[in-house]
Amino acid sequence: MTRLKFGFFIGALIIGASGLGCGGSDRAVDSGDGRTHLEVWSWNVAGNCLLDANEDFKKEYPEIDSELIITSTMVQQRLMLSLISGVGAPDVTQYEAVDAPRYNISGRMLDLTEWAMKYKDDFSQAYWINCEYEGKVYAIPWDMGPCGVFYKRNIFEQYEIDPDAIDTWADYLAAGEKIYQLSNGKTKLMAASPGGMGWYFEILLQQAEGNVFDDQGRIALDSPATRKALDVLKTWLESDCIASVDVFGPEYMSSFKNDKIACYPLAVWLGSNIKGYAPETSGNWGVFRLPAIEPGGLRVAILGGSVLTIPAQTKHKEAAWKFVEFMMCNKTTQLNHYRNHDLFPALITTFDDPFFDEEDPFYANQKVRRLFATEIDKIHRLNRTKDWREANRYLGQNLSAWATTHRDNERFIKDTVAQMHSNLERELAPKAGKEAPIHE
Amino acid sequence: MNSSLKQRIWTNRHFYLFISPFFIIFGIFGLYPLIYSFVLSFMEWDGLTKPVYVGLSNFATLFHDPPFYRSLLNTIIIGLMYIPPMFFLAFIFAVILNNQAIRFRGIFRAAVFIPCITPMVVIALVFRLYYSEEQGLFNWLIELFCSFLPWGPAPPVIPWISSPEWSKPSLAILLVWRWTGYNMLMMLAGLQGISKDYYESAKIDGATWWQEMWHITLPLMRPMFIFCSIMSLLGTVYMFDEVFVMTNGGPGTSSTNFGLFLFNKSFTDFRFGYASAAAYVVASVVFIITLFILRWRKPMGEA
Repeated sequence: MTRLKFGFFIGALIIGASGLGCGGSDRAVDSGDGRTHLEVWSWNVAGNCLLDANEDFKKEYPEIDSELIITSTMVQQRLMLSLISGVGAPDVTQYEAVDAPRYNISGRMLDLTEWAMKYKDDFSQAYWINCEYEGKVYAIPWDMGPCGVFYKRNIFEQYEIDPDAIDTWADYLAAGEKIYQLSNGKTKLMAASPGGMGWYFEILLQQAEGNVFDDQGRIALDSPATRKALDVLKTWLESDCIASVDVFGPEYMSSFKNDKIACYPLAVWLGSNIKGYAPETSGNWGVFRLPAIEPGGLRVAILGGSVLTIPAQTKHKEAAWKFVEFMMCNKTTQLNHYRNHDLFPALITTFDDPFFDEEDPFYANQKVRRLFATEIDKIHRLNRTKDWREANRYLGQNLSAWATTHRDNERFIKDTVAQMHSNLERELAPKAGKEAPIHE
Repeated sequence: MNSSLKQRIWTNRHFYLFISPFFIIFGIFGLYPLIYSFVLSFMEWDGLTKPVYVGLSNFATLFHDPPFYRSLLNTIIIGLMYIPPMFFLAFIFAVILNNQAIRFRGIFRAAVFIPCITPMVVIALVFRLYYSEEQGLFNWLIELFCSFLPWGPAPPVIPWISSPEWSKPSLAILLVWRWTGYNMLMMLAGLQGISKDYYESAKIDGATWWQEMWHITLPLMRPMFIFCSIMSLLGTVYMFDEVFVMTNGGPGTSSTNFGLFLFNKSFTDFRFGYASAAAYVVASVVFIITLFILRWRKPMGEA
């Protein structure tokens, strides 16, 4: 091989390698037909919503060619790598609502204030607040997770339990004990394992009008509200009628089809899991509102939810915004997301639609949509911070230790607060738990 | 570089070119992350904002971090719980399945080996059902066993993965089940590498089966035992998927091992600098332990 040939070979190798490196970013440039090509990342159910609506979007905006890439909920690692490296991020992406504060402050997401501010009042403020940072908007709320209790009608009818008579968690537990006794231990009230207390604690903390952090980001866990939430959890753990089953574990999912568990207190999106996993149980389900901690207390809480946003590195800012606007701020699209995929809209202007008053045959013609929309404005929002995931991990770990060992509320609060204080380097709220509750 | 060396490199350039893909790939995917991780251990970085140089602060924090020590202690306890029985079973299976008199040896070997190539998600699904407090197989077997006992004790319901006392033994049982096959295969290869001449000579000298085992098999298997020990040590320290899907380190932090600690610090807490510092400290300790284990490989009396 001559020197020239050798040099050519090396050159080809380098060009080939750089071609490989650039492959990903090519997808984000304009299509050959002059249309703007958008890459959108979203996961499973939500991704299917966008896929369904994408044809309508393309009709509305024929100059934009939007391509959906369905990811898993682990999209965060992939997104983060592309944001750090400055290339490879999609034009539009979804992430969980609790992660929004972390991305908002990163400076790597597009400032949507100019376009989005006009929609602010159309959305649930419990979610919108996660999308803002220092008065600027970086994401648009998508779905929200108002909670209720899913129950099996055949069990309630067999043991003559009236769901409408359940007003408090104490009533709920009494109903569960009745079911457990009359069924000779065959049917338990609900699933609650020590490792899965986090979701229930989050629901109860909202109902008790408590918070993990106050509105200045200080640790506010040492409060009467936390103690109230723990007291309710303690009554569950001490009762025989609670099944030690992990939420979304194999036994939990299979219990949709049998009589081992009667109730499932969780967010509205559980409905899509039940419909997907046990479609043959259609007509046997009902939903009642969350019981309150005390008579007359809050009967609403939210869990989960996601947002849609635009990374700042996109080359198609306006087209990306048109996509987000069409998918998030449009009543018809949002209603279709709920109708077809059980994603409850954070766009509260949709609540006036007659669709919310339609009967749902899966729930024996109960008007469950209206039930979930009831008193949404009373939701006590939890303040999310950029380190929410870490804080939530400490909560989960200490809750499982609390549940399996001491069940000492004071020790739980002391350990968790100390851990958050030292690891998150956050101050303690001076009057933790005594601040005015923040409502929408 | 003198001209003679340059000349030699140029003359042999084709060979350098042929071996270059490995070095390029290793450099990009092996060496660069290794060096970058070392640099990161002196930084505070959340993965999104600009890294900040913090000197030795991450290391100082690490040495006063109880969860770090707890994760190391859990790692050691889990390792001690599963490695000895796993080695014992692997060796027994290897000896049995090395016996030419056993028919369908291939099927048995495959059966023992299959767990380590089964996806962890599937294993988790099955084992979580086995360990269930409600209707799990293990608790049912205990109940069955108790029913046969004449004094009729009330069968205990063991909270296998939902109690701090049982979470580590439950993981150890799963690990023994999962990794015995891999170690059996290694030991089988070791057994098959021992020359038959030794056994024939021993038989001529009238050695019993046990004497053959004690004086021939076990000493000559030492390099393989060392290899398996090093692999198990690394596997235990950096084990992640088994813990993540079975207990997620809980209840509390009762089963959080170092692998999960590292994952949590990196991808839940987004403290990449701190995680890098922890990884480097533990990697250094593992390196030193490995050197000690390797030293054991040398025949007695050798320096």
